[in-house]
Parts: sequence; structure tokens; C-alpha cells
Amino acid sequence: MESDAPAQEPLLEFRNVSKCFPLHRAERRTLPSLLRRFVPGLRPDPSQQRLFWPLRQVSFTVQRGETLGIVGPNGAGKSTLLKLVTGILEPTEGEIRVNGRVASLLELGAGFHPDLTGRENIFLNGSIYGLSRRTIQERMPDIIDFADLGEFIDTPVKHYSSGMYVRLGFAIAVHTEPDLLLVDEVLAVGDAAFQRKSLERLDELRRQGVTVIFVSHSPEMVRSLSTRALWLEDGTIWADGPAEVVVARYLAETWASEEESTKQAPAEEKEEEPRRWGTGKLLIEEVRLLDSQGQERRHFHPGEPLTIEIHYCAKNRIPEPVFGLAIHRSDGVHVTGPNTAFAGCRIPWVEGPGVVRYRIPSLPLLEGSYHISLAAHNQEDTEMFDYHDRLYLLRVLAPVEGERYGLMTLQGEWSWNGTGTS
Amino acid sequence: MVNAVNARGYTSSRKRGLWAHLLELFRFRDLVYNLVLRELKARYKNSLLGFFWSLLNPLAMMLVFTVVFTVFMPNNSIDKFPLFILCGLLPWQYFTAGVMSSINAVTGNANLVKKVYFPREALPLATVLANLVHFLLALVLLFAAAFLYQVPLSPWIWMLPLVILIQTCFILGLAFILSTLNVFYRDTLMVMDVVILAWFFLTPVFYPIDILPQSQEVLGFTLNVHRLMYILNPMASLISAYRDLLYWGYRTDLDFFLRTALTALVILVFGYWFFVRYSSRFGEEV
Repeated sequence: MESDAPAQEPLLEFRNVSKCFPLHRAERRTLPSLLRRFVPGLRPDPSQQRLFWPLRQVSFTVQRGETLGIVGPNGAGKSTLLKLVTGILEPTEGEIRVNGRVASLLELGAGFHPDLTGRENIFLNGSIYGLSRRTIQERMPDIIDFADLGEFIDTPVKHYSSGMYVRLGFAIAVHTEPDLLLVDEVLAVGDAAFQRKSLERLDELRRQGVTVIFVSHSPEMVRSLSTRALWLEDGTIWADGPAEVVVARYLAETWASEEESTKQAPAEEKEEEPRRWGTGKLLIEEVRLLDSQGQERRHFHPGEPLTIEIHYCAKNRIPEPVFGLAIHRSDGVHVTGPNTAFAGCRIPWVEGPGVVRYRIPSLPLLEGSYHISLAAHNQEDTEMFDYHDRLYLLRVLAPVEGERYGLMTLQGEWSWNGTGTS
Repeated sequence: MVNAVNARGYTSSRKRGLWAHLLELFRFRDLVYNLVLRELKARYKNSLLGFFWSLLNPLAMMLVFTVVFTVFMPNNSIDKFPLFILCGLLPWQYFTAGVMSSINAVTGNANLVKKVYFPREALPLATVLANLVHFLLALVLLFAAAFLYQVPLSPWIWMLPLVILIQTCFILGLAFILSTLNVFYRDTLMVMDVVILAWFFLTPVFYPIDILPQSQEVLGFTLNVHRLMYILNPMASLISAYRDLLYWGYRTDLDFFLRTALTALVILVFGYWFFVRYSSRFGEEV
């Protein structure tokens, strides 16, 4: 059906779409308010009602084959936008046109019936997506194969683990052969192997010309997966363009504002109970990330010098303390954990205030968010004086030039010995 | 690999008419089929006797009514009481089960409605159809009883599918209205509990409609209760029709029959319109 549509017709079109929810919905459903609606004089004044507009006057089009990433802070209207695309929500104003089949990975496993087997649920779920029984029958082997559930496929899904549940849901969704696939953060579920498989499948679908719209809190993911990005904030589109450009602008903006807010945040906030512990004989009082000019910063480019300055205060004389730090990437990968003892930097004793510095001449980390933990303990590591678990944020920006793939650069050198073409 | 069933293009449904909604529902007919299947399978999955409950339940009810009305209150003169009661009880059970379970058809599937788009009409429709399947299974019991009592098959038995169709339309219309109301006002279920009980006594399930007086003074007005019941209560007409065909072996009265058919159709069309009108808000309300 869609094949006879003219090629120029966009797959998805939003024309001045706004969505509005009344804020005080609980008030509306009482008997007096119901009765008031039928008495002309007492009818509530619509202008009195407080309204919430998650989206205002949003217009954009998506062509076939595009991969569109949506970035924006929480509450920007991203989920509302996706729900409007699927048709779950209706726009309050404006018009939405969709010229094809939409499948979304927002609802993996929604609509599974716990008492039915995996196979029976494939039929049910497939038909929710609008597939005919025959089509589902044809794709059944592929779906079962992809979900990789083995003999569990004929077990009621209530006995499934949550991972199996999601795998089956994902397998069905990607086998509906959609024209437009909506993805909302779901790739964060399942084990690493399945995540890789999901990403591969997503890539395959994109190569087959499936249009993908996806929302992610990770701007890095948006940049690496999509060709185009929308920056949504406060219900309006702030930027629309090549993913590279939009994400870079988004990151620059949000990090700048985040830096401001961390500066303004009162110091006590950093001392939340579960993230800080120790006997307190020595306290780490302040931590600074300094650039080459000695300016305090929270974001750095790969290759820049970075100094971590630890200001401490010891109540009494403590012999041979050890200072250490750890860097974790935001997804939990432990990147490194140097300390003064490993480095052979012996501190004979400390008493009163002092400063310990860790200088990285050229930051080897690549783009991403990292958390810094700090520790001060005794020589034998039997007593922890003060431990700050991942309390300090370090952002590494995309490099202006140079390496960009992976976690870090090994700062290796390339050379070439050859004869060339001549 | 692109066929008509697969392609889905839509604009905001507010702008679509009833006809477009019907077409969409038709495209999702396999969904309705699967939902009915889900309901039937899920109901019997963990029970020992499985689908025999479709027969056992009305059989037990029939026994209860028979004991009450022939042993405890033996002064009634209804011949072949078990057959008589089955003719009323089975259609009544179909009616209550269909109406009451469809009240939750939308709200009970909130996780689905909030997360996936599909024609929402499929939900109450599937609930009613699943109950229809039950009813048809239970009818086996009725024919067995008729056979035991050696009641000859009426030459008008061919009208039975029509009566069932009309009743299904009536239930479906109510199901559309009530499932919509329940999304916005959860009181619907509580109210309907009472309404259904009253309705049960107002419907000639365990008594013949002929015992209703032809004229009765109510608040100074003379009313023909017998006739009013036929006109105001489609279930009375429907149960009488079942009884005419299966118990008495009459041809059912065409005048009433057509009137009931018309009532059912009006309720169905109104219910569908009502449902479609508000279904676009289900996603944010359930």
C-alpha cells in the first residue's frame, strides 16, 4: 500500500502539534463537579483550569530511511512526542501524519499474558502490532531464533526471567517489519551479549531502509547511531539538524548549566551518607579538577593536562597515610585506581590541613562522563579515614581532532615503513 | 511482502469517521481472534476441568433453581422445570458475563492501552465474543435437556442464530458504553453490580412472563406491566424468544422480535459511536 505513495511524501509529519494535559485531574472526577457541568451557570470556567503543555507547536518531518535521535533533559516532552507518533495519545492541536507501520520498543512485553506460552504470546503480540496470523506464522522461526529462549518458548511466560521477557518482546518488535521504529532507552536492558545483538539488529534494519527514531539520555549514543538529531526542551524544538552538530550544542549547553548548578550547590550535599564513609581521623575537605592554567573545570578535552587537587585535614598526627583515587565511567567500568603507595610516593606523616595533587600530563580518556572517587587510608589499608564514592563528576568532551573511538587513547605512535606506489 | 493488512497509515483519529474506524478494526481482525483465544485459554489454563466448566456451571445453577422451585416451593405449575430454567438461565448468564466482564475490558488492559496503539474496540469486542463462545458451548446442555424431555425441535429453530445475533449486538452495544464510562468513572462497576441484580429479578428468568399482570394500578395509573416489560426490557423479549423456540416450540412473535432487533441495533450503533468518540483519550486516562 505504501509502495504506491509518492516518494517525496514524508514518512512522518508533525504540523504545529501541541499536547495539553489538565493539571488538576483529580478535581474533575467528583460528583459535584460532574453535576456542575450540567448546570450552565456553575460550569467551571475553562480559563481557571491549570494546564500543562508538554509539547507546544512542534513541527518536523521525517523522511524514509532517516535515523533521528532525540535529545533533551527529563521532562522535555520526549516521551509525549513518541506516544503521539504511535497514536497512543492524540494531539490537542495540530496534525500528525504517519504513512506507514509503526513499531515501538517502548513496550517490550506489554500485552504478554502470563499464563500463555511464549509461542502463544508471539501470536498475540504480533497481532497487536497489526500482523496477520499468516505473517506471524511465517516469521515465527526467526523470532524464536532471535529471542534465543530454547525450550522455554513453550513455557508460560510467567516463569520467564525479566531478561527473557524483554528478549522475546524485542524479538517480536523487530520482526514486525516496521517502516518506522521507535526506540526509547530499552537497549539498556538485557545482558551485554543481547545488547550487542539488539544493536546489530537495529543497524541491520537501518541498512534495510527502516526509519528509526530514538530517544536516549546518552547523547553519545544519539550521535553514534543517528544521522539527524532533534533537541527538545520545554516542549519545543531548540535545534534540528545533523546529529553531530545538535548533540555538540546540546552537550555544551547542558554542561555549562550543570557546572553552574554544582558550584551553587551547598557543600553538605556532597556528604550524603551512603556515598561517604570512614573513621574521620583524616577528612578530605575539598577536591578540585584543575586545567593547565590552574582554573577549576568539570569538563576537559582528551589530551589536556588535568590535575586533581585533594585538600585534606588531619585532626591528629597520622603516620604514613595513603591517598588514592578511582575513576569509573558512568556505566560503572572501573578505568583506573592509582594511589600514593603504588606510585612510591611516601608521606611520612600528616597533621592539620594539607594538599595532595595527582597530575595527569595528557588526559587519555575519551568522550564520556566519569566519576572520581577519593580515599585516604592507613599504610596497611586496614583503616579507612575517609572515602568519597564517585562523588565528583568529570566530563570528557569530544576531541576537536584525533582519536574518538572507545574508552581511552593509549597515546601510542603510528609509523610506516614502506615503499608507497612509486 | 507489503499487503493491505500490513500497511497502516493514519492521521489523528479525531478526524476519522465511524466507517474509517470500522475498516481499521477489520484490518486488525486477527487481533480480535487472538484476544478471544487469549481470554479462553487463560480462563481454563490452570483449572482441572478446563472447558467443562462452561457446562458444569450452568448445570449446577440449573440444579439449584430446580431444587428451590420444585422442592422448597413446590406450588408452581411449570412443566419440565429444568428445561424451562435453562432456557432463561443460559441467555441470562451470557448477558451478565458479557456485560460485567467487558466493563473492565479497557481499564483491565491499561498497560497495553497506554503503550501500544491498536483499535481499542478490539478489547470489548473480544471479551463479548469470548463469552459468546461459552454460551454456544453451554447451549449443548440445553439441547441435551430438550432431548431428554423429548421436546420436539420447533420448525422455527432456524431463528435461533438470529436471536443469538441480536442478543450479541445488544450486549456489545452495552459493552462499548460501559467500558468507556469505566475509564472515566470507576463507579461504573459498582453501579452495574446493583443494576444487574435488579435486572435479574425484572427479567423472566425463573418465572414465565405470563404471570405478570396485564393491568396494575401504580400511583393512580393503570399500567400493562406485561407489555411494558416487553417494550422496556430487551432481555425479557430475548429470553421469551429463546423459550418460544426451545421450550414451547412456537414461532416467536415477529412484532416483538423486530422491535428487539431494532433496539439492539440502535444501542450497538450508539455504543460504538460513543466508544470511538472517547477512545482517543484512553491512552492518557486509564
